[in-house]
Amino acid sequence: MQFVADAIVIGLTEHAPLVLAAMGFFLLYRLTGLINVAYSETITLGAYFGMWLNTTFGLGFYTILLPAAVISGLISVATYFAVFKPAKTRNVGALEMIIISLGLSVFLRHALQFVFGYPVRFFDVPLAGTINVLGVGVGSFSLLALGLVLALSFGLYWFIQKTNLGLQIRALASDDELAGASGIRPLLVTVLIWFTAGVAGGLAGAFYGVGSSVAPLLGWRQFLLILLVVLVGGARHIRGIIFTGIATGIVLAAVSLQLGQILYAQLILIVAFIVVLKVRGNPSADTAKV
Amino acid sequence: MNLGWLDAFLVSGLFFVVMVIGLALLLHLQLGLARIANFGVVGFWGIGMYTFGVLFVQVDWPFGEIWAFLLSVLGGVVMAGLSGLLIGWVIADLDIDGMLVGTLGFATVVLILATTQQNLTGGARGLGGLRFPYDVGAVKANESLWLLILTVVVALILYYVHRVHRVPYGRLLTALGDNEPLARSLGKATFRTKLWLFTLSSAGMGLLGAMFGVMERFLAVGNIGIEITLAAIVGLVLGGTARVWGGVVGVVLAVGFFDIVVQSYLPLPQEWYTQAIPVFREMLFGVVLIVVLMFRPFGVLGDMRRDKIMRRAHGS
Repeated sequence: MQFVADAIVIGLTEHAPLVLAAMGFFLLYRLTGLINVAYSETITLGAYFGMWLNTTFGLGFYTILLPAAVISGLISVATYFAVFKPAKTRNVGALEMIIISLGLSVFLRHALQFVFGYPVRFFDVPLAGTINVLGVGVGSFSLLALGLVLALSFGLYWFIQKTNLGLQIRALASDDELAGASGIRPLLVTVLIWFTAGVAGGLAGAFYGVGSSVAPLLGWRQFLLILLVVLVGGARHIRGIIFTGIATGIVLAAVSLQLGQILYAQLILIVAFIVVLKVRGNPSADTAKV
Repeated sequence: MNLGWLDAFLVSGLFFVVMVIGLALLLHLQLGLARIANFGVVGFWGIGMYTFGVLFVQVDWPFGEIWAFLLSVLGGVVMAGLSGLLIGWVIADLDIDGMLVGTLGFATVVLILATTQQNLTGGARGLGGLRFPYDVGAVKANESLWLLILTVVVALILYYVHRVHRVPYGRLLTALGDNEPLARSLGKATFRTKLWLFTLSSAGMGLLGAMFGVMERFLAVGNIGIEITLAAIVGLVLGGTARVWGGVVGVVLAVGFFDIVVQSYLPLPQEWYTQAIPVFREMLFGVVLIVVLMFRPFGVLGDMRRDKIMRRAHGS
């Protein structure tokens, strides 16, 4: 019983940013039908900007979240205008789009090393006391971070499902021509989606970074799991991403506790997710291509 | 033989360039012709390298060294081929997204296994003890001979790819890439064709991985990152994914420029070589992918030859 409690508490506190990152990725995937590999760098940049604001200006972690998220969102929009919109105008194929996003990902990952330096960096945050949750000692900081991530995730869910702008986003993703004919401004809504996705990715990156370290491969190391959570859990509905993301975090923690290595947990999850995709197919292949 | 004139960096740089040409040629069959999106080239390459290394170093073979070496290489090739068969079966009927996940996932699995199976692979510490199957004198002479052998292997791959473009099998692959449902409706065994193509080309990648392991004489998990896949994709895209010589030209232009010209001949400050140049190299590779696919999607060589082939194939 204690093992289950350990897995749930550790899974939720350590892997909560996965849910946030996956929701941001899902937004782009639903709208564009594109696997945007460069999304991993949105996560990395969020971590780097957060760390830079924290260590350069001495701002607290919660203070840097908003500017780091906004900068990540703006960079996400900039990549849309600089790369993906011109590529779409030139009728670049789906496979070539993925390769282009891989190129952008590689470029950003290495460019930020020229800006922020080569060594691994760390946030400068005070050590927090621990609180006993279901028999597991958890840092108060981690608990606050978990609460914030879950609030942001459900806030994003509410925004997409319940607001007028969210309705416009879903309408554009389903049928861009019909959405345009209905008075929705495609460019404005598209920009909003890229910005929101960037904000979600940047925030996830800041949470990942403060929990461990800030390194160029931070986002890339999470990318495959994010991709799998979205393809397996969110192919039909954004709710699936929240459930699959949380379940993934708990399974990662459970297997890590059992086998003593998080890499084994990742291995098992990757294989399991790929088996699900093989058996079920990928029903989101016919999402709108915008 | 006096090889004093030969720069050691030049030999290793040339070896890397020739090896990536081989990978780009095999990727051309998968991605350029059949449109199978393999983003996990390094997985097949890496499993060939690690299987060879583990078999050669960890197994107490009852035969002479040359047989142990050859059987270990064969083991690497077979393991890469079997992996190609398995992953090919998984992704053959999936869309591009599924192919990306399957191949990227496989490369990650190989990296995880290489890192965690410390008793076999040495884990993050790596594994030494790999060596050439001969000894012709100095290290440079052994490496040069190995480069020559690799060049012969890659030339054979180039000849095979060249032949594929001129036989019905090649036109079947092109048809698969252009319109798979149409090819299937015409009675072509599309699934089986893709499966065998993926199996054989993955086995070839495994052979190149094993040969790289011999050249390095060391297994290191740092070698099986995304950089190998990226180098092969950049070379192929830059030269032209649809052309036989696309991979060759592209790899020479991209990888050759950095790993030979910059590494051996440009008078740059020594400290740049440790971090600045490798980082700049990857940055530029990223830009090349974006610019070429947006402004010259058929690469430096263009699509002229492909059109000729297609016209001839269709009798006009």
